[in-house]
Amino acid sequence: MAPLLNRVGPVPSRAHTAPCQEPPAPRLIDRVTRRHLLGVAASALLAAGSVFRLAQAPREASPPVALDDPPSGEPLPGAPLPGEPSFDEMYRGRRIQGESVASRDPHAPGGWSVTVDGRPLGLMRRADGGYLSTVDHFQSYATPLAAARAAVDELGPSQALSGRGH
Amino acid sequence: MAHTRKNQSSLSRAERRRFVDAVLKLKRRGEYDEFVRMHIDYYVSDGEDRLRVAHMTPSFFPWHRRFLIEFERALQRIDSGVTVPYWDWTKDRSPAASLWGEDLMGGNGRRSDRRVTTGPFAYRNGHWVIKEGVTDGEFLTRDLGRPHDPLDLPTRRDVAWAMADPRYDVPPWDSRAPRGFRNKLEGWTSASGKERWRNHNRVHRWVGGHMLGGGSVNDPVFWLNHAFVDLLWDRWRRRHPRSAPYLPARPPGPGSSQYRRVVARHEPMPPWDVRPDDLLEHKRLYTYGS
Ligand SMILES: [Cu+2]
Repeated sequence: MAPLLNRVGPVPSRAHTAPCQEPPAPRLIDRVTRRHLLGVAASALLAAGSVFRLAQAPREASPPVALDDPPSGEPLPGAPLPGEPSFDEMYRGRRIQGESVASRDPHAPGGWSVTVDGRPLGLMRRADGGYLSTVDHFQSYATPLAAARAAVDELGPSQALSGRGH
Repeated sequence: MAHTRKNQSSLSRAERRRFVDAVLKLKRRGEYDEFVRMHIDYYVSDGEDRLRVAHMTPSFFPWHRRFLIEFERALQRIDSGVTVPYWDWTKDRSPAASLWGEDLMGGNGRRSDRRVTTGPFAYRNGHWVIKEGVTDGEFLTRDLGRPHDPLDLPTRRDVAWAMADPRYDVPPWDSRAPRGFRNKLEGWTSASGKERWRNHNRVHRWVGGHMLGGGSVNDPVFWLNHAFVDLLWDRWRRRHPRSAPYLPARPPGPGSSQYRRVVARHEPMPPWDVRPDDLLEHKRLYTYGS
């Protein structure tokens, strides 16, 4: 799972970033700018995936900022639900396991490690606080457990995860 | 010279065959799977503190416009007469529609494992092996209409509801945006039950199988859905000629939750060195026919 997740340089949600003072990751824009500086031809467009496999490049320039943009005052997205418990259960014949790994791996997608029959299920946070899985990109669930059960429902009896993340 | 994207239901037999042949050839060359990978790589959800260009974001329309243009160019390198057809799901609403015929998309997945068994993309025909999926099956899957808990495709009224909104997008510029054409057509809501999916999202849900997950591009109907979404963006612009064609005009500032997370009108949109502003007009490249 690691190579795919690393390529886009996953950044933890702010809630996870704060305690360990992680520097903000470079934006994709900046990496692409760097690509142009490196003189990569436009025809290499479809090789974009491999660009992301490069180590994170330093930021080249600060983006323009609209100074009069008012603070939004919204709650920070992706705040973890307090005390969401780990789980390890059989659901429709599949073993689903999950635990919060935000404290020891701030780069874990969604802050959780979830598996179905031992294969990683990619989770992402939605701004409404819910969790989306790679199996279903169009519905978010309140907890990682609910997202894992829904992924099993969607997989049906005969399909397994490939282990591919986001 | 601009070419014309047609409604899939008005393609001639020969046009269907040429489109399908070009897609199969792209797959054989390995190029098709590059598109699948790119779409997976750029799926960034809005609860993550990084730049989103493809989904849950104002650049949903221009990013997919460019993605379609790249795909169409790749097809045209194989057959210069091919364009991407569009699927008007407000009209062609049934699994019995010709869209799902043997000579275009093929049919629904079978009940046991949702495997598509008819048409050019059926596994058994040997031309369509899934390589970039989030599930381990090598066969394309569909679950049209989700028979065990049925839902309908979005309706003309759903489209009209999005189309009537005079704002392109509104803060917080993500899946929670309470108004704005972009989020209404992309289809995120805070509703529950079957009302949770609208328009574009609902089409992904209705097709099901691969279309529901990270590997949605594995189902070629992805392109026909997005061509229609692209056409609807045109319609919205014609309907609201005095509205800003794209928002935000400038990047959200450091005080915003969306600071460095969305692309403003004149900012580059990865992976291309292209700005949303560059993609507002496309008539020199293609137009939509009936
Ligand atoms: Cu889509």
